[in-house]
Amino acid sequence: MCNADHTDPTTETDQATSDDAGPPVVSTTDLTKRYGTHRVFEGVDLDIASGAMTAVIGPNGTGKTTLLKMLLGHIDPTAGGVSYNGPDVDRPMGYLPQEPAFRPQFTAAETIDFYASLVPAAVDTDALLAEVNLSDARDRRVAALSGGMRRLLAVAQAVVGDPPVVCCDEPASGLDPSMAQRVFESLAGRAADGMAVVVTSHTLSLVEAYADHVVILHDDGVAAAGSPAALCERFEATDLWDVYATVVEPTAADSSVSPSADSGGEP
Amino acid sequence: MNPLAVGRALLDRELHTAARTRSYYLLGLAVGGILLGLTFGGGGAATGYIPTVVDLLLPLELLVPVVAIAIGYRAIPSDLDRGELAMLDTYAVSPATYVGAVYLGRAVVLSAVVGGALVAVGTVVAITAAPDTGVFATHTGVDSPILFGRFLVVTLLFGNALLAVVLLASVVVATTRTAIVAAIGAVLVVVVGGEAAILLGVLDGLLGETTVRIALGLVPNSAYRGLVFETVIGVLSAGESGYASPLVSVVGLLLWTAGSLGAAAGLLRWRRR
Repeated sequence: MCNADHTDPTTETDQATSDDAGPPVVSTTDLTKRYGTHRVFEGVDLDIASGAMTAVIGPNGTGKTTLLKMLLGHIDPTAGGVSYNGPDVDRPMGYLPQEPAFRPQFTAAETIDFYASLVPAAVDTDALLAEVNLSDARDRRVAALSGGMRRLLAVAQAVVGDPPVVCCDEPASGLDPSMAQRVFESLAGRAADGMAVVVTSHTLSLVEAYADHVVILHDDGVAAAGSPAALCERFEATDLWDVYATVVEPTAADSSVSPSADSGGEP
Repeated sequence: MNPLAVGRALLDRELHTAARTRSYYLLGLAVGGILLGLTFGGGGAATGYIPTVVDLLLPLELLVPVVAIAIGYRAIPSDLDRGELAMLDTYAVSPATYVGAVYLGRAVVLSAVVGGALVAVGTVVAITAAPDTGVFATHTGVDSPILFGRFLVVTLLFGNALLAVVLLASVVVATTRTAIVAAIGAVLVVVVGGEAAILLGVLDGLLGETTVRIALGLVPNSAYRGLVFETVIGVLSAGESGYASPLVSVVGLLLWTAGSLGAAAGLLRWRRR
């Protein structure tokens, strides 16, 4: 069922902000990315709100990771731009890559200590490790951590120094269900504390449960956007999966809403 | 955040990594074993420091590039492959600070491996050589530990210049799998290509007596050889050696170091855009 907490009735499509969220800390304007003749997406306008979790979902190859990297400034857009409007800090954005890895010779605590030494603020390494359930592995070397534990360590790294924005590329990938939930809980907690959290994910149940705003990328751009509840209401869907199926695979969904009518950002 | 503090954190990370990398210890043992074997095999140890330097000069011209490749080729591509550089990119870490710290960390390793092996050789000479090598003097015609110390310093200058070239080559290809090939290729081009170019220049009459001495100082291997002859071996015999001036050779090696690191930082900045 769609999360009843998300009752945003608005039907904005390219907006990742709502009344209960903070001001946009990152905005994209007419963001376009092409690789040669291949168009990844075109004309994406997004406002990433502080104090909210924004989830970017969509089929493989629709540019979720590319969008995230463009927000971070790691990839230049073909056209359009990204503007950061947050506070002037040493580390405006944190990043959790899709396949994070660290120096295998370091322990989990040493890894966080190293990243903590790159920010001016004091960082409580043990508290961060506890937040991602890695307290028991604090003295274990990265080489001895499982793939899931390394991802948890990367989640902790992403929020070192409390950056105003944190971009997480599939933070739940490779984690068992309870650990995946733990990661989303942790990120939602960060959002509740005022951070702008952007995640890409294929785990729609977690997105529905924890995201404040959902952006569906499909067909070269934003196919639909809004809070999970607003999207469910708009597409007359029972849950986010139904919304996703309607928008991305219209033939597979039992919906009277034509996805084409919702493409392009107009309600 | 203060770039010096960031650089120190990155350097600590490099040193910490190196201290826990078993292959570096094995490399040190191997290099030490090779140099000690050559020292004993050449018979120079019994006669003094200078004969030992003569025994080791050519092997070191081959061995030091190999050590530089082994220590440097993975340093930056590993961080790129792991995605760690993308994470570091979200901190106030400039490419110049990153490259500088990685280089310094690896330079410490190279200095420990090569320097440690040479200290071991020097110790063997001190124990086994004739009594007159115990004189700490640099007068012409007198063998001395100071001359061997100079040889050590010059060798490290040469090795760390090649290490910078290796780092640049590894940034050019940017992946661990291809970095070893790029590093070997770059060192071959710089070492063999440089001297071959000078030879061709002399044969074609493009380089005169003065310009060839400058050119020799600008190629790492010949600069190293020149420095060893001019500042270590040459003190035993008066007269012109025909090598580049020590100043030109030192400047040449420093230019290779700084130029390669600058290019690596610039390339990394460009790649990260």
